[in-house]
Amino acid sequence: MDSFEHSADFLTTVDRDGALAETRSHAERTLSRRRLFGMTLAGAGAITIARTAGAHAAAGLPASDVDILNYALVLEYLQASFYTEAERSGALTGKTAEAARIVGATERAHVKAFLKLLGSQAVKRPTFDFQGTTEQQRPFLKKAVAFEDLAVAAYKGQAPKLQANPVLAAAVGIHSVEARHAAWMRQLFGITPAVDAFDRPASRRSINRVVASTQFIVSRPKLTGRKKPEFTG
Amino acid sequence: MLQLGAAFASPSKAQDVKILQLVLQLEYTQVAFYEQALRQAGLTGDLRHFARTALEHERQHLAAIRKALGAKAGAKPRFDFGQKTRSAPAFTQAAIQLEDIAVAGYNGQATNLTKGTLAAAAEIVSVEARHAAWVRAIAGQVAAPDPVDEPMTAKQAAQGLHEIGLRT
Repeated sequence: MDSFEHSADFLTTVDRDGALAETRSHAERTLSRRRLFGMTLAGAGAITIARTAGAHAAAGLPASDVDILNYALVLEYLQASFYTEAERSGALTGKTAEAARIVGATERAHVKAFLKLLGSQAVKRPTFDFQGTTEQQRPFLKKAVAFEDLAVAAYKGQAPKLQANPVLAAAVGIHSVEARHAAWMRQLFGITPAVDAFDRPASRRSINRVVASTQFIVSRPKLTGRKKPEFTG
Repeated sequence: MLQLGAAFASPSKAQDVKILQLVLQLEYTQVAFYEQALRQAGLTGDLRHFARTALEHERQHLAAIRKALGAKAGAKPRFDFGQKTRSAPAFTQAAIQLEDIAVAGYNGQATNLTKGTLAAAAEIVSVEARHAAWVRAIAGQVAAPDPVDEPMTAKQAAQGLHEIGLRT
């Protein structure tokens, strides 16, 4: 399958984004983003896999890819919940409120895409407690910067381990979007959006340690489509 | 125009070289673009800070890719950026386009690279994405307009670089 020839009109898409970004309404932009997202995943073959595999959407994927996708899903749940809660709190204003709305919609779209891809093998959404950081602008931005930088390092650490090309193609397309978010949140927070020439990856162990240290996850995710492992002896 | 076939085989060291030669053109273009803009576009404030930082990053990317290619690195190409490096508004628009091409160009090659080279490229592409968002934010635009970055084929990326001003 050739997943590299599906976006022949991409150059014009780039131009259109630049020229029309300020005139299009939010609704139009949201619609356009959703359409693009669908196109991308369909083009990369991910949605095709989900459809053809039916209820066992992830059945066609290597077990190690399913494992990595579930790990990414938890990070996406974390981000989506964080932005959604911040938006609902009404504490954000101006450019930060606009950015949070757009980035939140994107993170929710990532969650949806992973759920569709993983089907019955998706982990459930954990319960989060952001401990007030979504209710004030500066603490919100500080955490947003941390989450986005973390997501960039996490995707970067896992991308070379993905086996299925359609999943890898989708993951790198999300990886760079998380980097755009990181730069955006840094700019809003007032710090340099791109510090070094090279962004380093982070291992799952170090990401898990950072996430655990925040104590934002108050209940652990469980697999929905499997029995709990049984321990004997 | 780059002579990169549209059809890619399974990842191999030989194919990595072909792809690195493409991204070498990309990094050469970025370095030349920011150098010329800093001399000619009258950049001030945030925009100047962005251009200087991005230039420093692109120089390091260029050096890393040249080192990886060794004797297989091509000569520095020629450029004609026209008016794109001669005013702040033209620079801003072209910088957004160029950084987006960089992101899409790297992303488009992810499944064609060996895993080791992919890991190295991944350390660069997210920095290009940060540049793209940064310059958009300075321009008052939505910094991350899409949920997923669309990839570009090698041919599309080469065409994009030619539109910006790469002449080989």
